[in-house]
Amino acid sequence: MVYLRSEEHLERWLESNRWEPGATLAAPKMNELARAWWSSRLAAGWRPRAVEQSQAILEAVGLTGEFWSLR
Amino acid sequence: MDEFDLDVRRHVYFSVVANGRPPTTSDAAEAFGLPEPEIADAYRRLHVAHAFVLFAGSTEIRMANPFCFAPTPHRVEAGGKIWTGTCCWDALGIPAALHADGEIATECVCCGEPLRLGVRDGELVEGADLLCHVLVPAGRWWDDIGFT
Repeated sequence: MVYLRSEEHLERWLESNRWEPGATLAAPKMNELARAWWSSRLAAGWRPRAVEQSQAILEAVGLTGEFWSLR
Repeated sequence: MDEFDLDVRRHVYFSVVANGRPPTTSDAAEAFGLPEPEIADAYRRLHVAHAFVLFAGSTEIRMANPFCFAPTPHRVEAGGKIWTGTCCWDALGIPAALHADGEIATECVCCGEPLRLGVRDGELVEGADLLCHVLVPAGRWWDDIGFT
């Protein structure tokens, strides 16, 4: 999961590595996902999440579809 | 994951926050007053359970996500310490996990140009025009977490 300057740089990077595109998120969306996903990581009562709970976090920030399926 | 393993995992994360690095199995064995092999077994179980990631063939912690203890391009300043983020998601995850403001110094994976992001009160206040790319579909993230 990487940072890129622009769409042009993304296309160049994918092309030079001969990789198929995955999913591109604007940095504010990734920050929204990071907050939802990691904010409880240091809680004293942390327990591992069920796959369904993790999937619900992705869905809550609008990341749906086959690419974002954790199963 | 049983209660003992949860305690070990909690100790690892609290040590990371306090010291900026994960405890070795020797450190943790001393803290728990247990033989080191018992802690090493717990570390291996926690690795298998994806609670954290060990270096290959070792009981040294490579990632206690979002914190990383191997070199990456993602340097994160948050909570009064300098951290390394595993990837673009984890770099933003460090201020989120610490509930702190953060400054991320990183680079464009295409050209190596230095990039900066800033988080204040949970919001991205610098670097909002940047892109994040996720190459691997979610269902395969743990096939090779280093590549992901």
